[in-house]
Amino acid sequence: MPGRRWITTIISLGHAAQTFLITINSKVQHYHLFPKSLGDVLTTYKVKELHLSQTQGLWKHEKWGYPPEDAPPGDELWVWFQPHSGVDQTWADLVNALSGLFCASLNFMDSKSTVQPRWSFRPAGLASEFYSANSRFVRYSTLPREVVCTENLTPWKKLLPCGSKIGLASLLNSVKIYDGFYHSLGVHVRSVCQDTQCLTPATELKQTLTVVYDPTTNKNGKQDWSFQSMFDRTLQSQCPLADTRKIYVDVTTQETLPKFSLSPVPDFVLNQKRSGEERKIAVYQIGNHLSPSSLNLKAMYEEKLTFSNSSLPPVYANRFVTGYGLERGGVTCMIYNTMSSNTTVIFMETVPWFLRVYFSSLRIENDGKEIKPYKINFIPAKDRANPYQMELVFRLFANSVTKITYSFERAFLKWTEYPPDANHGFYVSSAVVSTVLPVASQYTATSQSVSLLEESFSDSSSSFFLRLHTETLLVSLPTPDFSMPYNVICLACTVVAIAFGSLHNLTTRDFTASDPSKRKGLVAKLKSFFKKEKESPENKPDSKEEEIPSQKDKDNSKSEEKDSKKKDGNSET
Amino acid sequence: MVLPTAISFVCGVILRLALFRSSLPDWLSTKTEVVTPLTSWGRAMEGLALHREGISPYSGDIFHESPLMLKILGFISRFSPNTINLIFVLLDIIQGMILLRIANTFGRHMLLRQATSVKNYHPDAKKNLLRKEDLMDLQFYVTVAFSFNPYSIATCLARSTAVFNNIIILLALYQMLKGNSFLSAVFVALAAYISMYPIILCVPVAVHYFLMSRKGGMHYTDPTAVVSYLQILGVTFMSLAIMLLFSMLFVGSWEFIPSTYGFILGVPDLTPNLGLFWYFFTEMFEHFRTFFICVFQINVVIYTIPLAIRLREHPTFLFYMLLYTIGIFKSYPGYGDVGLMFALLPLWKHVYQYMRNTFVTVCMFLVCTVFAPIQYYLWIYAGSANANFYFAISLAFSTAQILMATDLLFGFLKREFYLHNGDKHKLPDGTDAQIILDS
Repeated sequence: MPGRRWITTIISLGHAAQTFLITINSKVQHYHLFPKSLGDVLTTYKVKELHLSQTQGLWKHEKWGYPPEDAPPGDELWVWFQPHSGVDQTWADLVNALSGLFCASLNFMDSKSTVQPRWSFRPAGLASEFYSANSRFVRYSTLPREVVCTENLTPWKKLLPCGSKIGLASLLNSVKIYDGFYHSLGVHVRSVCQDTQCLTPATELKQTLTVVYDPTTNKNGKQDWSFQSMFDRTLQSQCPLADTRKIYVDVTTQETLPKFSLSPVPDFVLNQKRSGEERKIAVYQIGNHLSPSSLNLKAMYEEKLTFSNSSLPPVYANRFVTGYGLERGGVTCMIYNTMSSNTTVIFMETVPWFLRVYFSSLRIENDGKEIKPYKINFIPAKDRANPYQMELVFRLFANSVTKITYSFERAFLKWTEYPPDANHGFYVSSAVVSTVLPVASQYTATSQSVSLLEESFSDSSSSFFLRLHTETLLVSLPTPDFSMPYNVICLACTVVAIAFGSLHNLTTRDFTASDPSKRKGLVAKLKSFFKKEKESPENKPDSKEEEIPSQKDKDNSKSEEKDSKKKDGNSET
Repeated sequence: MVLPTAISFVCGVILRLALFRSSLPDWLSTKTEVVTPLTSWGRAMEGLALHREGISPYSGDIFHESPLMLKILGFISRFSPNTINLIFVLLDIIQGMILLRIANTFGRHMLLRQATSVKNYHPDAKKNLLRKEDLMDLQFYVTVAFSFNPYSIATCLARSTAVFNNIIILLALYQMLKGNSFLSAVFVALAAYISMYPIILCVPVAVHYFLMSRKGGMHYTDPTAVVSYLQILGVTFMSLAIMLLFSMLFVGSWEFIPSTYGFILGVPDLTPNLGLFWYFFTEMFEHFRTFFICVFQINVVIYTIPLAIRLREHPTFLFYMLLYTIGIFKSYPGYGDVGLMFALLPLWKHVYQYMRNTFVTVCMFLVCTVFAPIQYYLWIYAGSANANFYFAISLAFSTAQILMATDLLFGFLKREFYLHNGDKHKLPDGTDAQIILDS
């Protein structure tokens, strides 16, 4: 049954995040609600799980906490396939099909940027232990350079059962959405249980859209927001195909500063209790608020915005490039653990082949002391074939910063391999940090065992799976001179010709004594060349005679007289 | 001449030891003129780190040494950095000692050859003949050329693995001069195993073997001669095959072949160096890449045939000329090859007076050696130059090497001409005739 939800969270002072979540649960090949275009692609390419995210902007974990779905800047696609042979070919076909479906350049996710993560991307849906322990059927790839725009929002909206004309999706005004700091589209397909007995699996499709706004830029310093100000529209209808049509607003901070009030008044307020975190969620049943006029949800603040410190999330990370010059460099990733307990973390990096990572330079340090990781999976790159793949499992100590560093050397590419703006640089995709948190502070994702958001409101679990993406990196490579191919070929061949000419002369010709005054100019040489063809029988004995003494090792005391005599017959050649 | 030789040898060793204490080795090991992707110590260490971790060093594209070198370098790398420096100085000492022996044996070899062929010479050529006194100080000159040669010092300080290649080639030359042609062929095979191009050195060894065992007026194309060539070639290729087989057994598969020989032939890595390949193939149209790779690789070895025919009486000089062609035209040249050329140059000091371009060549070498790191720095670090500056230096350096090689060949052939024809050539009217190259 499909459900639509919309969550607003004030993620930090001055920023508001809206997440738009649609979950559709359907039986296999039952296209009543499940989009047929996507379903066809999934069945043709034997896809068991698919996770695609298209993001513009960077989610600031230390300021905004954790989003419901964490996504790196650019496009990220990871897929678990049904067991079959020739997964590489299926993957290549799948990315081509998806690039057509989502209007994104996913076809660039070829072997140069695709990896098979061993520990970081386990199946999110139903999967057997044996199947998920093997990384043969998973493929992960990112396109950090990809730009997301309205072209990508339209096919995403097309997948919705009610389309973009009615229901919550009608709020999605592309002009306003792409004005924000951060927006992320997500499509997640996985297998789930249909009922508690779980005899047959169902396919669940979850579409998410997360947008981060800055409301204070509009109104006189106050953080007031409303549907009208954010989307330039109000909610006028609801999708009849949806089972649950709700709007959730996080009102945990409503009573503390800054105070705000919601209009219209919410239907009721829920308490979400998760280990270490309590939240108050105001719930709106859309149907109750549509008549007489459309729903324009408003939040009005009493005071102007004042900035203060926000609390840090339990685990967050930062990554940056070090070094100078275009020959070598280094990458440092700092992972912060603000909890008072240790936690184990899986750190995955995919580095393109042209940044030659030196495995011997990989160091994990905590407070100056070196940490030995529990496990390392390092697959070196093959030029123009695979990227570097690095997965590290190690411990983060409580209340500390762990620093991962490695150095690389920049390769020299062929002139055709540079993108149009060669000096802009090359992007390195985000690192992925996966961990299991014991506390749910600032954690907003739904737990993996449930499909709908409200099922995770009464979550009694004590471990919360967290996946973080760090910043992407921009690295410059040394460029050749693109205007010079002809010149370079000519000059290099000239040098080879100097050698060839000299060696050819020295090996095919002999020293002879000749009279410089008898040597003719060019025109006379040409004339005598044509004459020589008529007189060749006469000249032959002459030239033979004078060559013999200079070549053979006989006594040739008279040879210099012979040479000077024969110079006449010899000089034209 | 023993004392000056010993003093210069010891000075060379002390110079290397002293320079190892400075920051020069770390700087030189990053210089692309000195180290190439094939000979870099940093890459060798990376390959060994992967090997120790259980990952095959040939699964990536950083390590390109052959498995035997993997073993030797693994053994060396276990020591502390200071001991590793000492080991490289020791390798240079070994190289110097082999050069001394070569100089010694070369002198004797030259006198013997001269004695057999002096009856073919022109009577006026007596003053051009080699004398024992000249050859006595060959050892000194060779030692000076090796000990104070900046290219050899740079190769040693940068811990380039080209020193192993040079030692094997020098051993091949030494055994050839001593008369052990089969042992020389085995060393040629070992050098080819390490860096592939020295396989063409089996031609001078084969010619030398034939000349040593020639009886009477046997011609080069007689069946007996061909049999002797095939014997040497057979020994070379057999040894190479055995080495490859052992490597396969050590690594466990044939995956090292694309990483080593495939890498040398296919030139996928376009790191700048003082050769002709890198920028040519950076700017090459993709459509023609394979064609030009073939052309350039054939260019390295094609000079063997004409040079062998021309220098069939002088296989030692042929060996030396082939070292030039390898060092200039190979896919990843470095200062190791240049150092080897300069170290052996004093053996032919009797040819110097017939060379024409020595001043130009020496100036070009000096300028290029000084300019190369400057232009590289300006391109990569300062950002105020571009790749063309460094490319120009690489072209000029290659031209300087070519000029030196062809000038030396010219001088050698001219000396041969004067030996056989005397050096007084007069025209009928009494003026001097010009000696030119003509067909």
